[in-house]
Amino acid sequence: MDNNSRFKRYLKLDLLPTPWCPGCGNGIALKTICQAFDELDLPKPGTVVVSGIGCSGRSAGFFDLDSVHSVHGRAIPVAEGIKYANDALNVVVVSGDGDLLGIGGNHLLHAIRRNTNITVICYANEIYGMTGGQVSPTTPHNTKTLTTPQGNPDYPTDVQSLFKHRNCFFARTTAYHLNHMKKCFLEALKFKGFSFVEARTMCIVNYGRRLGYKNSNEMLLHYKEFYKINDNAEELAQNEIGILKSTPVS
Amino acid sequence: MPKQLLQGNEAIVMAAEVAGLKFFAGYPITPASEIIHELVNKKHIKALQMEDEIASINAIIGASLAGLKAMTATSGPGFSLMQESIGLAHMMEVPLVIVNVQRVGPSTGMPTLPAQGDVIQCIHGSHGDYFPIVFYPNSVSELYQYTVAAFNAAEESMSPVILLSDGYISHLYETIVPHRDFTIKPRSRPPLGTGNRHFTGLSHEDSVPQTSDADNYRRLITRFREKQQMTARRHNYYEYLECGKETDTLLISYGALSRAAYYFKNDFALYRPIRMFPVVEEIKSIAPRYKRLLMMEMNMGQYAHEIERILHRDIEFIPILGGRIDLKEIKQKIYGQ
Ligand SMILES: Cc1ncc(C[n+]2csc(CCOP(=O)(O)OP(=O)(O)O)c2C)c(N)n1
Ligand code: SF4
Repeated sequence: MDNNSRFKRYLKLDLLPTPWCPGCGNGIALKTICQAFDELDLPKPGTVVVSGIGCSGRSAGFFDLDSVHSVHGRAIPVAEGIKYANDALNVVVVSGDGDLLGIGGNHLLHAIRRNTNITVICYANEIYGMTGGQVSPTTPHNTKTLTTPQGNPDYPTDVQSLFKHRNCFFARTTAYHLNHMKKCFLEALKFKGFSFVEARTMCIVNYGRRLGYKNSNEMLLHYKEFYKINDNAEELAQNEIGILKSTPVS
Repeated sequence: MPKQLLQGNEAIVMAAEVAGLKFFAGYPITPASEIIHELVNKKHIKALQMEDEIASINAIIGASLAGLKAMTATSGPGFSLMQESIGLAHMMEVPLVIVNVQRVGPSTGMPTLPAQGDVIQCIHGSHGDYFPIVFYPNSVSELYQYTVAAFNAAEESMSPVILLSDGYISHLYETIVPHRDFTIKPRSRPPLGTGNRHFTGLSHEDSVPQTSDADNYRRLITRFREKQQMTARRHNYYEYLECGKETDTLLISYGALSRAAYYFKNDFALYRPIRMFPVVEEIKSIAPRYKRLLMMEMNMGQYAHEIERILHRDIEFIPILGGRIDLKEIKQKIYGQ
């Protein structure tokens, strides 16, 4: 296998295609996770992936590793149980924003407090994709969804604020900024302690097309235009992606 | 082996240690908290207080898959919160022990008083069909004995086994002989991090989700039921006391309340399930010997309905509610004076 396809060793290729819609951003994130695994040469026996429920939650099953597809919102405590049982394992959670920040938000709060040495990768697509497109904890203010037909009256969760004054790792990235995404995943995986990456991914079918995007490429271009990289920020502005400076890099 | 004066909850902890417990996660709740209080002082057991019972059950699922024998302990409110993930543990075939020290419900109810209101929740609390093994001892020494049995049954069936207790027997102090001559089952599958298996709550076949294959789902559920029944047969626990004199009445009870039933052993035959579920088959051969089936429970007839369904017979039922076990009152209800 050449260097560019070596990441595939972390995937169960015979199970492809994934159940994701054409144009879904999840595949970009999945591939980039595998590339980061490959760059770090994470041992296959010795690495475990845990997901919750959602489109994103189907990620776990595609890794050629031992993996757990838990229930909605509970990937973090399952992962913590695994890590506390066997500290030698690399434990990675891959799940959605509804799963990790909505129904499972309480667990995130406490995993941060415990600073459990696991990595959480959140596919933050601003919507509940799997259930048809309802408002999620990262849906922007005023945005129309199935359950906010007049526009979202609330403001999205400021995930990074949970990490302030904590000895944990936080980064935000997007599916457009591939090198940056990989860098965030690599730093998160290397970090000793709790690490969290909010990865902006496109849901074209149950979100983007209702907002007027013709295809997911247009959503990617929006990421390109909207987000600026700031890898040394005290605090990321709404239109910034990057790694929080308060994060002690290992 | 010297005798020891132990509280019921302490006996559970001691037995769990003997059975190989290595990981515990729980959340404080009366009348189960002594279990976590004891466990945090054990050197070779990792015991964590989590943010809630949902985190607790999911953490022990993770730890069990990762190779450690794992347990949680709670009471009704926490048991209710755990239900979704109990279903997950059945679907993913995760060996666990879940202790439920029952108190009076519904809701916050009467937190310090014993009840038996979670009996049906044990088998129907989570959605879908699953076939849990449930033990319910009635003394401190039995809590010790059946905690070990629960760990073994969990490994044999690869499923979460429920150990029922109640605020009465868990807080009771009795002298017991905490012997160690049990056969202890080893872990039933290699730990996480050694292969490329996928554990999922979706219907599945050989690690691969099968979300629209009815035949596969039917095979899966049939296999689950058969393995639960097979394990249950190896743990066929009940107590049947024939009466010294002729009687036409069988008095059925279990847990804390069955201790009061012993008072009537000279008038009635007594039957006490210890393995509550799957229901012990012997009741089908014992019950026909008696014209009158009398049953008392600390609920409104949860197990009585189950027994009636199995025997196709009516049962005279005496509810003992609100956490009060008063012999005078029970006598009055039984003898009608
Ligand atoms: C307890 C529970 N409630 C609701 C659901 C239904 N459900 C499945 S996925 C999902 C939302 C997933 O959203 P998100 O985590 O953002 O993932 P996405 O599908 O967008 O990737 C919901 C509500 C469920 N599976 N379990
Ligand atoms: S519904 Fe959205 S998130 Fe789900 S697979 Fe389709 S595009 Fe992706």
